[in-house]
Amino acid sequence: MNAFMVSARHEMLNARRTRTANLLLVVFIGMVIASSVIGWVTNQTVTSVYQKVVADGLSSAPNPFSGVSPLYYSRNAVIYVLLIGSLMAIVLGVQATLRDRKAATADLVLSRPVGSVARLLGQLAGLGVVLAVVIGVSMSISWVIISIINGAPLGWGDTGRLVAFSALSWILLATFALLGMLTGLRSRQETTALLVPFVIWSVVAFVLPQIGTAARPVSLLNPVPAVNPTGGYFDLVSALTGPLSVTEQFKRASGIILQDSTVTGDATPSVLILLSFLVVMSIVVVSTPRARMRSGLDG
Amino acid sequence: MGNPSTHAWVIARKELLDLRRDRLFAVLVAFLMIATLISVGVAAASFRTQIDAYNLYVQQLIAAGSTTKPAAPTFFPLQLLRGGVEYLEILGALFAIVLGYGTIAKEKYRGTLQLILSRPIGRFAMPLGKIGGLAIVWAAVVLLLTAATTIAIVAIGNAPLQPIDGARILIAAIVAWLYLVFWSALAIGTTALSPRLSTGLIVAIVIWLAFVLIIPQIGDTMDPDNQVPGGLFATLQIQKTDELKVLANFAGFDAIRNGLEISSITKHFERLTFAFLGIKDKYNQQTLDFVWTDLWGYAITLAVAAFASVAFAVGATTRRTLQRKIS
Repeated sequence: MNAFMVSARHEMLNARRTRTANLLLVVFIGMVIASSVIGWVTNQTVTSVYQKVVADGLSSAPNPFSGVSPLYYSRNAVIYVLLIGSLMAIVLGVQATLRDRKAATADLVLSRPVGSVARLLGQLAGLGVVLAVVIGVSMSISWVIISIINGAPLGWGDTGRLVAFSALSWILLATFALLGMLTGLRSRQETTALLVPFVIWSVVAFVLPQIGTAARPVSLLNPVPAVNPTGGYFDLVSALTGPLSVTEQFKRASGIILQDSTVTGDATPSVLILLSFLVVMSIVVVSTPRARMRSGLDG
Repeated sequence: MGNPSTHAWVIARKELLDLRRDRLFAVLVAFLMIATLISVGVAAASFRTQIDAYNLYVQQLIAAGSTTKPAAPTFFPLQLLRGGVEYLEILGALFAIVLGYGTIAKEKYRGTLQLILSRPIGRFAMPLGKIGGLAIVWAAVVLLLTAATTIAIVAIGNAPLQPIDGARILIAAIVAWLYLVFWSALAIGTTALSPRLSTGLIVAIVIWLAFVLIIPQIGDTMDPDNQVPGGLFATLQIQKTDELKVLANFAGFDAIRNGLEISSITKHFERLTFAFLGIKDKYNQQTLDFVWTDLWGYAITLAVAAFASVAFAVGATTRRTLQRKIS
């Protein structure tokens, strides 16, 4: 078996054995499942609110939720992928590369005829499989719950959209796992290795969208992407910060894929931006020199 | 230096010295400061955009021959602090956890823990010293943020402040301090209890994730008005009074939603600060007495939660838990 496969298998084994990683995985799967139920309860209530508004003669506007897709019930999953999934991926990524440096096993591994690129790509592949399994399990259960809520199995079209959303989630989570791997390789302290990607995540998820759209940080926890106010400053700044706001791009593309009526446009640019970040992060991580992989921690 | 309070003070002073030299701490505070100032600047820019749009609309009305002039957007300076408060509730809590974790972790990593515990210090000296040190640091950070944002409101927002605004800001700062001490103490407790250091940090972060992000997010998502960009009721062109009448028919759902939200300490912090700063419409331009009468319960629960968190940290940080095998 070559270095790539051994590293990948070892990574999967470690993810299975690490209790904290397992805790995050369980929380993630639980919340994605819960999101379907929350979506259903909220949709029922909002429909009732609209019916009450119309019955009281307060509005004659069409129901904003008429003809809503069954996938509406999984819209909250978008935000849980962003919040829990991203942080879980960061923790997995940090642990993957920091483990060898903490235990000084990097010296042992790299004393064998193992290429650093094969080693890092193998670790990434192992994490990729773990993330794919977690996303696959949570989306499968979500499929069952939505089918139960709808009273019939989801059709091929909707199932395909759920699969596409799963693939998009994997791209985002793999990017954050790579960010974790990178800080795990580059940081001199364990605290810094965990903290730096969290800070970068918070900049991407909160600060950049706020600068470009004036959206408040808490409102960015809503699955509906922030809307740009029209005006000189925001037109200019959002053109610069928009492509860097990876999480908002993910929300936009997911909303379109899941047929959220509140999100319009073409998902392709957002998907391409997410893929670009994945490719760039992969190149940056696998370019890590052997000496860096073997460097110890300061304590 | 023989009594327990002196031992605790020595440890607190050492904590202050360590943090003053810690580059990571400086970076975190600088980041929080920049994010908060950006939020003030963005809020001010957003208001100017609203004013520009309003002026354009008025010009178009005049050009169309209309004599009716719509009400101009009203500016309340303290509302510029909304983004900053939200950053404190999300990122401030995260950084408080990191500092709480770091204060225990560094002693284990450096091997200084055994040295400290070899001295005749009291049972509570170590945790009280650590928490006391962090409480002083957070007081300084909150004061710094308060001063910087107050200056930003006047300079960036070009908004004059009244003496009562100073009192409102000061109350919000005290509430923020309690909130940050809560998270630091919680992280000290979880780190002391965890055999593996990183586990303590991750457990505290999972608690942060649940109570700062997930629970408020569920409550926020369940809000009927948040289902459409721009708001459901605004889309349906419903007035506020009618909105309240309609929602009164869904009191059960709202009670569940509100129950979820108030199970999070973050919401207590948010509601208190939003009320005292007048960010929440209901409390805007109201007297401090009015706000206190309405929300004293939140102040009590926040104070009790902070005290409970400190008690947890003190109870958890014992010689036995600290001297577990380090891994």
